[in-house]
Amino acid sequence: MSLDTSPFRQAAAEAWAALADENAPSALGYFCTYAPVELIHAAGYRPIRIMGGSGSISRADALTPAFICPYLRLAADKALAGEFKGLRGLMQGYTCDVSCGVMNIWEQNFPCEVHHTIPLPYGKGPGAREFLLKALAEAAEKLAAAGHPVTDEALDKSMDLYTALRGRVLELYELRQNGLLPLSAAELLEVINAGFIVEPVQYRSMLRGLLSSVQEALPAGQPSGVPLIVSGSIIEDPAILDTVEAAGARIVSDDLCTGLRPMLPPDGRGDDPWQRLADRLLERSPCPARTRAENRVEFITALANNSGARGVLFLLQKFCTPHLADLPDLRRCLSEAGLPSVVFELEETGANAGQLATRVEALLEMLGD
Amino acid sequence: MSGSRKSTKRLKSAKELNRVVAEFYLECNRAKDEGRLVGWMPPMNGAIELFYAMDLQPVFPENWSPVCAAFGLTPGNFDIAHGLGYSRDLCGYLRNILGYVHGDMHGEQVPLGGLPEPDIILTPGGGCVPVMKIFHALERRFPDAAVFRADLPQVAVEDIQQHHIDYAVDQIKALAAFLEDQSGRKLDLDRLAQVVALSDRACQLWDEIMGYRSAVPTPFSAAEMGIMFVMVTRQGTQEAVDFLTMCRDEVAQRAADGVGVIENEKVRLFWDNIPLWYNMGLFNYFEKAGGVVVAETYSAAWSLRLDPAKPIEALALKSLQSYPLVSCVSIKKRMDMVLNACREYHIDGAILHRNKSCVPITLGQMDIKRALEQKLGVPSLIIDADHMDAENFSEAQFQTRADAFMEMLLERKA
Repeated sequence: MSLDTSPFRQAAAEAWAALADENAPSALGYFCTYAPVELIHAAGYRPIRIMGGSGSISRADALTPAFICPYLRLAADKALAGEFKGLRGLMQGYTCDVSCGVMNIWEQNFPCEVHHTIPLPYGKGPGAREFLLKALAEAAEKLAAAGHPVTDEALDKSMDLYTALRGRVLELYELRQNGLLPLSAAELLEVINAGFIVEPVQYRSMLRGLLSSVQEALPAGQPSGVPLIVSGSIIEDPAILDTVEAAGARIVSDDLCTGLRPMLPPDGRGDDPWQRLADRLLERSPCPARTRAENRVEFITALANNSGARGVLFLLQKFCTPHLADLPDLRRCLSEAGLPSVVFELEETGANAGQLATRVEALLEMLGD
Repeated sequence: MSGSRKSTKRLKSAKELNRVVAEFYLECNRAKDEGRLVGWMPPMNGAIELFYAMDLQPVFPENWSPVCAAFGLTPGNFDIAHGLGYSRDLCGYLRNILGYVHGDMHGEQVPLGGLPEPDIILTPGGGCVPVMKIFHALERRFPDAAVFRADLPQVAVEDIQQHHIDYAVDQIKALAAFLEDQSGRKLDLDRLAQVVALSDRACQLWDEIMGYRSAVPTPFSAAEMGIMFVMVTRQGTQEAVDFLTMCRDEVAQRAADGVGVIENEKVRLFWDNIPLWYNMGLFNYFEKAGGVVVAETYSAAWSLRLDPAKPIEALALKSLQSYPLVSCVSIKKRMDMVLNACREYHIDGAILHRNKSCVPITLGQMDIKRALEQKLGVPSLIIDADHMDAENFSEAQFQTRADAFMEMLLERKA
């Protein structure tokens, strides 16, 4: 028996539709999950990860070159089509060059209350921590200047809320890792992607409901399919993961920013909410835009050890420099660790199901299945 | 695709530049032979002055790529990089240097003795992602090198505040301590102040040279942009100051005498983004129709001043500003810079190089294009190319579009 994830799909669809209304409740957007969602929420905005969807691009050429990731081009296309008129601005941390550049292009083309990129240190020492705290204070000043001040109390509550949300999602991952989650990878992706748009208190309640139904819907017997990890950045279309699993794989964990990566760690350490927020950002699980391939080898092999994954499927956004630059050494190291891999690039129109299935089958053959 | 093609140069300084380039790379190899520490680093930051002040040898893998392009080594280096699994969609600097270091670094076909292997690697946290990734890969390629992990978060130039400068100062101090530890030598702050003064003098000369380009006709075009080599590799040295002084004097004389790049300058052009290193002759293409490329965005990276009285702070500020000035970290600032340059240099039209190898500079070009049209009435032409990979450039297509653009500009001026 499977769980019903349609409420997540429906709530997300409603929230996206509402965002086209310029009188929608205050919302701030971001592209990259190094956005301090807790800070944005504490300021009284709903943080929304802007999605691009899939399809042909008709407007974005007026803003960007064709050789950036489809995700950000599709998002720009939607913005030009008026689908994000409800956004009051953008705020995120500096990670990859393209998301920073597109953010600045939005500032030129869609004037809003708030447009701010937070400089993020690459180190983790005391100096880096102090730098980040000042950068977060500066971000709070920008929010206050837009009429949305942040109090310590509000930030503490928002930290608690998002920590709880991440904790619930991690419970789902734990269940999946142990073969006890009656959801396909595509269904889990729907649940996670809803979290980027649905109002967080509502989302927490939906997650609570989903988890309470798990006991009644425990899968009968051992799940089938070759256990794999999916690695990459953003995947929006759940059908992509359906194609992967229909080809004979079973996705048991992931290294995605629409997945596990932004959930870890669920909270930061510190005596006050600012310290917690800064600590969490500094300790984030490794994103290729900010860390070395070596850190990712460590992370992915640990995932494989915990989940029983036997190989890795890289599902990358085309033209994504941070991921593409890591690939040669990352794949070699994973192979040496007994984890063979294949790569598939996602284009504007999403994934060609036939080609993707062939690539997955090639990986399964390598694994002797 | 187009073959490697050099530009036609008019400055006598161009010949001297060939000697300066050769001497730099010979010096790099000599340093290795003599046991002086060789450090590989990205350009456009304050590490170069620290190295020269401590008599250590800086090497710039990014700068080696134009040399490879000029000598036709790039396709071979690309083949090696692609064979290792690096995607053709990655920056050409990245593919070229990683191909080079995984090939025969000192083979017969390699000019100027090639690059000496690094004793030190200065890996940036900051700048653009491809450069960061180059240095991550270099760390793996040269595991015996001592690594300094720099941390300079990207901040838009107009947003730089004191705490950003303080953090960069701490980084410069940490690098100095690391270099002292590696070399067993103390940093002499008086010597550093002298080096920073030389660096500042080079920037001042650079600005003077660029300033003379506003003369009509312009005495100096983008075809001569190779002179930026000294700003990348020699900042903080007397050699840079001597070369730039000679260059400034020559350009000043040409301006005073009304000697232009071509006899009948009709159209003044602006170039945005990095040049095509394998085809610098492109800058001369417009000359047949009376067009001269008078100014460009890239040269702004060295239009900075450094205060020798506060050498560490000066290097911190330089490190914070150079990259954001020319990239998408600061689109507003870059747009202002382009608009000001177009006013100051009396520009008739702009060439926007949509550069597949450099997304950070390419992003924002469409906004710049609109601002040029709306605020100054300056039309622009987008050309699709790549600063390193000739496979991403069609010369025939370029010529067709450039001809039409020049015709339109000439008609407007008539």
